Amino acid sequence: MIFNREKNVKFVFLLPAVIFVLTLVIFPLVYSLRLSFCLARFGRNPIFIGLENYIDLLKDYKFWGTLKITLIFVLLTVSIEFFLGLTLALLFNREIRGRRYFRALLTLPMFATPVAIGYLGMTIFYEEAGPINNILALIGGPQKVPWLSNPTLAFASITLLDIWQWTPFCFVILLAGLQALPEQVYEAASLDGASGVQSLRYIILPLLGPVIVIVLLLRTVEAFKVFDIPFSLTGGGPGRATEFYSLFTYRTGLKYFNFGYASSLAYILLAIVILIITLFLKRVREVFE
Amino acid sequence: MQSRKKIFGKMRNFVIGTLVGSIVLSISGLTIAQEKPFSGKKITVAVLASGPKGPISAPLYYWRDKWEERTGAKLEIAEVPFGEMHEKIMTDLITGAGVYDGFITFSGWYGDYIAGDYIVPIEKYYNDPRFPKWSKETVIPALRDKHTWKDVWYGVPNDSDAQILYYVRSALTNPAYQAQFKEKYDYDLPVPPRTWQEVRDVAEFFNGWDWNGDGEPEYGIVAPLKVGEQAVHHFLSMAASFSVLPGPKIDKYHNTYYFDPETMEPLINQSGNIKALETMIELLKFGPPGMKTWSLGAGFDFFVRGKAALTWSWGDIGSLAQEEKSKIKGDCGCAPMPGSMYIWDREHQKSVHKYNFAGNTVGGSWHGVISRLSENPEVVYDLYAFQASKPINMWNMMTGYTGIDFGRTFHFLPPYGPASLDEFIKFGWDATDIQEYGEAYYENYTAPVMFEYLRILGTDEYWSILDIHLSEAYVGRETPKEALDRVYDEWVKTTKSLGKAQQLKLYQESIGYKK
Amino acid sequence: MGNVFVLLGVLIAVIWAFSPFYWAIISSFKLPEDTFTISYIPFFQFKPTLQNWINEINFRGREIWNGIKNSIIVSISASLLAIFLGTMAGYALARFNFQKMKNKDIAVFFLSQRILPPVVMVIPFFLIMKSLKLLDTRLALILINTVFSLPFAVLIMRSIFKELPAELEEAALVDGCSRYSAFLRVLLPLAIPGLVATGMICFAFTWNEFLFALVLTYKKAVTMPIVIAGTAHTRGVDFWYVATRSLFAIIPPTVIAIALQKFIVRGLTFGAVKG
Repeated sequence: MIFNREKNVKFVFLLPAVIFVLTLVIFPLVYSLRLSFCLARFGRNPIFIGLENYIDLLKDYKFWGTLKITLIFVLLTVSIEFFLGLTLALLFNREIRGRRYFRALLTLPMFATPVAIGYLGMTIFYEEAGPINNILALIGGPQKVPWLSNPTLAFASITLLDIWQWTPFCFVILLAGLQALPEQVYEAASLDGASGVQSLRYIILPLLGPVIVIVLLLRTVEAFKVFDIPFSLTGGGPGRATEFYSLFTYRTGLKYFNFGYASSLAYILLAIVILIITLFLKRVREVFE
Repeated sequence: MQSRKKIFGKMRNFVIGTLVGSIVLSISGLTIAQEKPFSGKKITVAVLASGPKGPISAPLYYWRDKWEERTGAKLEIAEVPFGEMHEKIMTDLITGAGVYDGFITFSGWYGDYIAGDYIVPIEKYYNDPRFPKWSKETVIPALRDKHTWKDVWYGVPNDSDAQILYYVRSALTNPAYQAQFKEKYDYDLPVPPRTWQEVRDVAEFFNGWDWNGDGEPEYGIVAPLKVGEQAVHHFLSMAASFSVLPGPKIDKYHNTYYFDPETMEPLINQSGNIKALETMIELLKFGPPGMKTWSLGAGFDFFVRGKAALTWSWGDIGSLAQEEKSKIKGDCGCAPMPGSMYIWDREHQKSVHKYNFAGNTVGGSWHGVISRLSENPEVVYDLYAFQASKPINMWNMMTGYTGIDFGRTFHFLPPYGPASLDEFIKFGWDATDIQEYGEAYYENYTAPVMFEYLRILGTDEYWSILDIHLSEAYVGRETPKEALDRVYDEWVKTTKSLGKAQQLKLYQESIGYKK
Repeated sequence: MGNVFVLLGVLIAVIWAFSPFYWAIISSFKLPEDTFTISYIPFFQFKPTLQNWINEINFRGREIWNGIKNSIIVSISASLLAIFLGTMAGYALARFNFQKMKNKDIAVFFLSQRILPPVVMVIPFFLIMKSLKLLDTRLALILINTVFSLPFAVLIMRSIFKELPAELEEAALVDGCSRYSAFLRVLLPLAIPGLVATGMICFAFTWNEFLFALVLTYKKAVTMPIVIAGTAHTRGVDFWYVATRSLFAIIPPTVIAIALQKFIVRGLTFGAVKG
């Protein structure tokens, strides 16, 4: 049987997924890649214009602006979510009564529909009489903090909500990684008399390396695509302060019906993210090979 | 014998059959053709999603059973989230999917429809006696062009939109406050303010202290200015008076706002608009700082709860103020939008310092149009005509939650129209409020100068670009001049990518420019 | 001493994670006009009302129920399909060497399906579904969500299989099992907790997916995020209905998450560790 030949087995396992993905995306991929070299507005026939979209894009201050804030956002959220997730995972990596229920509560934010979180955010961050400003005032903090109408704070509010929603993702995977470490690792660490920080730094984190890479990789990719929360909470504003890359692409493609330009934006993002993955997450290589 | 019987039988059957048939036909002619003309037909109409009790979609739900009973057709209401409505409709049209037979549309999308030939005129149905009767004459002239293209009707009237100024009457007419105001500004407190300079002073005067005695300080003015929603219309309705130069006809220099109708050059960074934007930024100082990111509802809510002395917006406030939760029922003063004491004359490149006021029709004026892809256009038309007929439209307008705003000729009270004050009072309106409201709208719609309505291909894109840069200016990330210069550059780019010649043609047609 | 800090940390984390839900719950019991007033404790600070819930069930009950049903069917089907395909592909990438193509490149190929902004794929997908007559069907959403969940399934399952010692299968192969039965009988049972965890993550992403559901559905197949987006209309957002609807939407995943809770961490325990 052709399926049973040793060298074919691997393809039997791999190909269904590859074929499934390719059948569904090959047309959209080719279609949008072709459009990225065209002037395609509304329902009109696309006109081939070569690299003009890509050249325009590099000259577009809006592109650089949105790229900049998106990169800052990715850097901030991924590192904070990772750090908090790790801290929580370390906290939970011991016997605590009712741990299972706390853990369930902590994973809930992942399942909260982001559009709803954005809308609820409008009341939570409401500057005149929202709960955050109210509590701040009660504990003697600043009055009427402009959470949404100040460009920097609006950016911070979205970052905060993203951290709220996706820290659990890091937490769940990192906790799993920690608990998978054999008991001996922890014993060795305590025998050596190493301090908590030292054993974390020199024993636990290195062993956790591959998990860390997976978490960072998946979070980085997702953070680049942040869309729903800024879309519903700030609409990209005030001004363009929270117009993240996906929002900008969405607006170009489906609000302005400028499909060619939107496609070129998408492919540039693909290139940038793949570049970042291969350059900065060097350990990906080790995990993948 | 058998064969004779057979023949006879056949004949008899034939005769009876014919008789019965003709009776059935004549009866069905009466009942089906006249009373249930569209039995078995089904139409799908897209409307923004706000449910059976929410704005714009409510009337479709409320009247659905009656309409279905009358026509025998079935109405499928396809709700689309408001923020994504345009892309949903355009996707349907561009790809030829044809799921929707019609849509309750925003008037600003006409350019997209006309450029793509996506909607059908209703003229041939209008005089057809099969359909419910409504009259074109009941659509105020200023609003007619929202439903037409080059004088051909495509839309059936439903909602009427324009912005006016609202003020808390008891605050502005308080004698003690009036005296204080006079002392401070050296002129009488204007009730209502008629220019933006006066609005500025009144807003400043009422800002930051407790003038309604509820123990908390109030604000001078409120305007919801969240980017990506409806803030741009709040700017346009005010900037119009700074920029639209009156003249005998629509020409290169007069009665235009967006573009030079001869060259398609954007006029957005002309001096009048910069002045308007500066005024707007000045006004922001006298309102809640958060309003720069409020969506429309938050602004309505704030004003109706009596937290600000002034606002300007659509007719919704007038009816929301009558509802139970309102703190300003009977206290909701209305006036036309203020004018400007500054207007830019492009022809002579100089500013003119005399009172100028341009009426506006900004907003959706949400109404039905019929998709070119529909297989049952006449059924769709019947639904729209039914909703447009006087008794039904009147009920829709009176009932606050429908979001159908004031503006057909028969909505107006004497001396402007035939409506009855008692009716309004029966629906819970305060008598003074409705009278001022009607008057303000009448003045707005009959203003000698009207602010044009942008209806070219990609209108949403032009507005959105303006909206974003206005917001940048509100939060101080760009100066007014920088912001509007950028809008100019981006509008030029947009026009180029959409095809300048076609855009110019659409623009001229949409504003009725003739050489 | 240390334990006090741990407990305090856990407590803060739980409060932090839960407080927005608490805000949603109290908002859903407030009258619309009280939305923008500050009060946290029902009965003491404000009089709770069931009005919003009653309105929702009366006027929007059908849409919400339809949305929840569609969301559950689409999310579960897409997750199962993604796990099925992802497990096989993950196994292949973990155990075999695809010399010419490089395992890394194949993994990046799967990952790149998640990188590309969905906006550019929406119109071509619409055209495909239109020609297949699948517009406004759950099948269309299932297929597309499977594509976009697969990267998670492949990457996570791959590390789970790498975690399991290869000797297990080798022993089975020596005993005369085929590759397939070694995989099915020996390896897969050990990976089941990992499957569940992966499924949960795929479920979460499908559950929250907005753009494709928006463009590809009209009425029958509308999912919960679209129903929630319908709370924003010309007069702004009905915050009270955002609250009720997002609470409706959080119930099914919560039930599933709690039911499967013990699998999640135990499952990932096997996974991803020694790369």
